[in-house]
Amino acid sequence: MDTFRRTFATTYVRVAGVVLLLVLIVAVFGGALAPDDPLGQGDAIFAHAGTSGHLLGTDYVGRDVLSRLLSGAGASVLSAAAMVGVGLLLGAIPGVLSAFAGRWAEFGLLRFTDAMMALPPIVFAIAIAGLFTNGQVGAIIAIGVLLAPRFFRIARAETLGFAHQQYVEAATLLGASRTWIVRRHIWRKVLPTIAVTTATSAGYAVLAAASLGFLGLGVQAPDPTWGGMLAANVEHLAEDSWAPIWPGLFIALTAWSLNALADGLRDGLAAESGLVRGAVDDPDALLAGVVPAADDPHARDLAADGAASGGPDGTGDRDHAADPAPGGDGRVPVGAGAHGRPGAGREGVRDVG
Amino acid sequence: MSTTTIPGPGTGSRPTGGRPAAPRRAGGPEGPRSSTGLLRQLRRRTARPGRALLLGVVPVALISTFIVFLMTYLASANPAAQKLGENATPEAIARLNHSWGLDRGFFEQYVSWLGHAVTGDLGTSYFTDTSVGEAIAQRLPIDLALTIVAIVTAIVLGFAAGTIAAVRRGGIVDRVVTLVASVLITIPEFWLAIMAVVLFSVTLGWLPSGGWVPFHQDPWQWLQHVLLPGVSLGLTVAAQVARQLRGSLVSALDEDYVVGARVRGLSPRRILFGHALRNAAAPAIATVGLAVPTLLGGAVIAESIFGLPGLGQYALNGAQSHDVPVIQGVLVATIAIVLISNVVVDALLARLRPATRKA
Repeated sequence: MDTFRRTFATTYVRVAGVVLLLVLIVAVFGGALAPDDPLGQGDAIFAHAGTSGHLLGTDYVGRDVLSRLLSGAGASVLSAAAMVGVGLLLGAIPGVLSAFAGRWAEFGLLRFTDAMMALPPIVFAIAIAGLFTNGQVGAIIAIGVLLAPRFFRIARAETLGFAHQQYVEAATLLGASRTWIVRRHIWRKVLPTIAVTTATSAGYAVLAAASLGFLGLGVQAPDPTWGGMLAANVEHLAEDSWAPIWPGLFIALTAWSLNALADGLRDGLAAESGLVRGAVDDPDALLAGVVPAADDPHARDLAADGAASGGPDGTGDRDHAADPAPGGDGRVPVGAGAHGRPGAGREGVRDVG
Repeated sequence: MSTTTIPGPGTGSRPTGGRPAAPRRAGGPEGPRSSTGLLRQLRRRTARPGRALLLGVVPVALISTFIVFLMTYLASANPAAQKLGENATPEAIARLNHSWGLDRGFFEQYVSWLGHAVTGDLGTSYFTDTSVGEAIAQRLPIDLALTIVAIVTAIVLGFAAGTIAAVRRGGIVDRVVTLVASVLITIPEFWLAIMAVVLFSVTLGWLPSGGWVPFHQDPWQWLQHVLLPGVSLGLTVAAQVARQLRGSLVSALDEDYVVGARVRGLSPRRILFGHALRNAAAPAIATVGLAVPTLLGGAVIAESIFGLPGLGQYALNGAQSHDVPVIQGVLVATIAIVLISNVVVDALLARLRPATRKA
């Protein structure tokens, strides 16, 4: 709950949250909210916004643009959600587990994710969507599969930070199974970072779904999608030059709200670990960290802090893992020395050794 | 838009010291660098670039091409029957399958396909009976030109904006750059391209709204045709680069060595370009490198906006007709471009930073 409050600490993120909520409502109830039949053709073609009862005007066969945007939201947003779901499933879970895998399995998995990242998403999606009989399922699988490496890397990096904590070692010594450790100790701590990645990936997936809709993959005309509407607008640029504004606005607002939410979540998490770090000054808290009681929330936070602040398993991982998009980190200086000593991360230490 | 894992495939096998610009690499989410003793040993033996290439790029190339082959193998549904139509006899279908080599086992097919692909022979289209390699070679220059113009745009605009914003931190330019960049990042790049057509072609009539002129025919015409799609494609990446560079440059300018250089009386220009920027540029360059797969996808969409006869249209047609060699060929070609750009970016990063070079 505290994380939730800190996430929505700024107006910027609150606005994004409201926008996202509206988008989701439209995605679920879009067809019912539409003032007009999204497929019903009218006499007035290329009507300007606000004229003849059409709030956003009409398209090249006289269909109401607003109704098409609203009822197209479902396909556009829900397919993006499905892409992220596939990515989460294929990426996050193996990512967490890989931290406990053997060396060769690690080597293989990392090369495999590298290989996935070498595939250009849109081209790959064209190929897969074409090969599948159902283009939309193909597009969802293709983008979802290519989102998986991000989740894999982030989940793995986060888990590695926790996997060598003393309380995990203690649990291992007590004979706890890996499954139990992951369920009990790791999962909940990795979750917030994965939430950030989920938000940024969802922003990306919205754009990808729109791109594929634009190329005519997935939902077929005349059923509306935001990307498909843009494609139709491009065909008729000479007649109605400013029509692409509206679908573009819907796509951009959705993507923006998700990115802003990710920013807020990231800042909220950073604020949280910052607060907890202060607690280390308290000797009792320090002791609690040395002898962690699994059920003591204070100890849990401290342990998280061990991974989040300057320890050898350090800043680097947590910070970067919480920070997956190069574009998404405007307010947190990301380069040298912004968070703790450069090279203090685990890898730096290892390389010296 | 993409992850911040700075090292592309291949960078992983190089250790990073604790240089000021390095923490992003040093602790980035993953990189094969993290982890095992096995990798550490490999890394120790990969001081020379040739070996880094072998251990980084070659496995990635092998795995990604294997994914491509496996996928297309599983998805392809009897193309011979499809080509010959409903009246084809089973013998004719079997004959055609044999001539395409489809009656062999999976691994036999894979090895022969890979062997041919390595030598540049990407096979023949099932349905048009033309060489896939030649068709790609004809179309690739269009997408490459768009991508390169986009990269140049991203580097020039991104570095200029990011540097000015960092040097004038908190000033009006900084705020404008930050605002414009954060807006640009959420706008789909193909929508930017559409609006660029509306503005510069339909309304102002300055530039053509589509079509293509090869560079060797008329460089000036070529530039006019490539400018709109290329620049609008590059703007999103430019915004990413600007944000990344601003962040790392701001921190670099706060470093001790910058204070030291100032104390030694070096000129602000020398400090900025000789020291701070040199150290801060790496994440920004890596951002450009990571954007290459996205840019290739953007080029494919730009093709369809501007009506360019490029790789994307070829892939779309191939996918619609289930033309497996075409799909495989396009994917292999794009993977090759991505991997080559990774190697180039790695080499650049290694040159840029003494810590990596030393390794």
